[in-house]
Amino acid sequence: MRLIRYFFEIIRGFCITARHFFVNIFFHILNLFGIKTKRRGAVTIQYPEQRAALASRHRSLHRMMKREDGKPRCVACMLCATVCPSECIYIEAAEEDDPDIQKYPAVFIIDLNRCCFCGFCVEACPEDAIRMDTEQIELASYDRKKLVFDIDRLLE
Amino acid sequence: MKEKPMVKIFIDEKLVEAEEGKTILQAAEAAGIAIPHLCYHDAFEPRGTCRLCLVEIEGIPKLELSCSTTVKEGMKVRTQTDRVREARKGVLEFLLAEHPMDCPICDKAGECKLQDYYEEYGLFESSFAESKTRREKKRDIGKNLIHDQERCILCARCVRFMDEITRTSELGIFERGHECVVDVYDGMLIGNNYSGNLAELCPVGAITDKDFRFKTRTWFLDKGKSVCPLCSRGCNISIEHHKGFARFSLPKRVYRVRSEYNPQINSYWICDKGRYEYSYLDKNRQTTIHAVKNGQPVPMDWEQALDHCATEIKKLIYKNKTSRIAVVLHSWLSNEELFLAKKIFLDDLQAKHIYFSDLPSEEGDDFLLTSERSPNRKGALELGFDVKPFALKNVEDTIDILIVFGAFLIENFNPADIREALTHIPVKILITPQESELNPLMDLVIPSAHIAEKEGSLTNTDGIVQKFSPALVPPGSCHSELEFLSGLGKGIEENFSFYKRLSSGDAVRKKMAEDILFFREKE
Repeated sequence: MRLIRYFFEIIRGFCITARHFFVNIFFHILNLFGIKTKRRGAVTIQYPEQRAALASRHRSLHRMMKREDGKPRCVACMLCATVCPSECIYIEAAEEDDPDIQKYPAVFIIDLNRCCFCGFCVEACPEDAIRMDTEQIELASYDRKKLVFDIDRLLE
Repeated sequence: MKEKPMVKIFIDEKLVEAEEGKTILQAAEAAGIAIPHLCYHDAFEPRGTCRLCLVEIEGIPKLELSCSTTVKEGMKVRTQTDRVREARKGVLEFLLAEHPMDCPICDKAGECKLQDYYEEYGLFESSFAESKTRREKKRDIGKNLIHDQERCILCARCVRFMDEITRTSELGIFERGHECVVDVYDGMLIGNNYSGNLAELCPVGAITDKDFRFKTRTWFLDKGKSVCPLCSRGCNISIEHHKGFARFSLPKRVYRVRSEYNPQINSYWICDKGRYEYSYLDKNRQTTIHAVKNGQPVPMDWEQALDHCATEIKKLIYKNKTSRIAVVLHSWLSNEELFLAKKIFLDDLQAKHIYFSDLPSEEGDDFLLTSERSPNRKGALELGFDVKPFALKNVEDTIDILIVFGAFLIENFNPADIREALTHIPVKILITPQESELNPLMDLVIPSAHIAEKEGSLTNTDGIVQKFSPALVPPGSCHSELEFLSGLGKGIEENFSFYKRLSSGDAVRKKMAEDILFFREKE
């Protein structure tokens, strides 16, 4: 009985694969004859040789925005650290001599080991100091320590 | 004193009774109706500068200030009509016309009343196209304070505090109209011992603490009520501490101390000593049990340490030599702890050598700060201790066990002298929250908790008994002295069933009230 079930599942799997194949072929053929359909046939991209363009609203590695003089735009208000659901941002504020700035982050750490790329920090920032538009999405590393980004690395 | 006649008024259709002479705002607050206000403070005469507490009173064509209008029989007040809300919105727009929108760098953000009221009544787009006037953002006005003149809304709370409470009048309002600014008088700096209250008093972030400046944000802090142990006044304080982050360790737990209202003792105020000298809570904490046997450190846990103390005392009981026990107490211990210490050492063991070692007295002032630097000396006296100060010659003769509470010996004597005086004592036990030079002189060091970390009660210099509960969690293997003493009482087994019942602060307090008239009257 178990054996029959085993073969049944294999055949079912083949059916699913075949269905995708024929459905995609069908839409590709329609497209070939210039018939516009809502759904399009799937295309496989040969990653990493080929790459699809990232959407403009994508979220990738964070970067810290700079002021005109190269100082970080961040004023260490800690709203990002407050809103962060994975508690991966740590900030220590320090006093800046310039009375127009007053406060700057002496320590600003984003721990990517923990980050879930929700982008809340970007939304919360009142100074537009943090953005997630570097297009760097391949962040895997052999060393956890390399995934802890401090302010110098975020400013790069 | 003759009671003032009561007046009946209606606030938002609700019948409210208030004493004659009270203002509408006071009556509303007492009835639980919130009227927004920035300049009004319960401790001062109303000044009516912020214009935010406008209310509609039936029969009066214009809106009135509720902070300075006194109640009258049958008055009908409305606090939430469209007209009132519109007026408040207008007032807020004027207040914010010159207020910089630098909430991200403002230490007040999160507890700022202007922020809260904008959320509640404002939410407008500013109609001022002109740029805001630039003023001094970082003016040093005293040893603990920084004044941001841009953020100031001229409510004059600080000026009134200086005029009415401390009567030192360092602050004034200068210039007129648009140029108006709060500042210190020429060459003066706010140097009095109550300056820290200004930062708490300021409804916006114009006056901020130097100590708290940029350390953290207010919404990260948890509050815990406690009693200030730094002098014998017993001011009510709230200890604000950070619960920490999951992945990052913080340099300290406690970020600031603020006052809690208590009309009997400190009203709304605390002194700068109580406000800024909180670092003892995190600095040099003794968090592990440290035991030495024959010159070698031995690992010990809490139970073993307690057991060790009890065994050493029991040895003396068998030899009938309990008079050879010396105990050094201090007046940072709560009433309950002192009561247990008295029961164990004085009543059960009949030890002759019971001394107190406290911080030396310093100068007090005529407002809150007293000259005694210990919170519970009065309690110790009421409990029946004769509070003999400890002297090194007291332990020169035959002492077999020395039990020292607290590290205050180091404040009174020089470490070399203490070492010499203690060398011949076979068993030396120290129960202290603070690591000090006393540690290497002892055989067993047991970490204990600070007043902010335990429950109990203290008797202040005027004989007011105040209960307190833990505001912080004690670090490491710290246990309160109450736990130590009730454990020791049980461990000695002289009077096991008696101490078994006294394991919580409440139980001890009840027993204490039964035994001692002073505490029975205070219950």
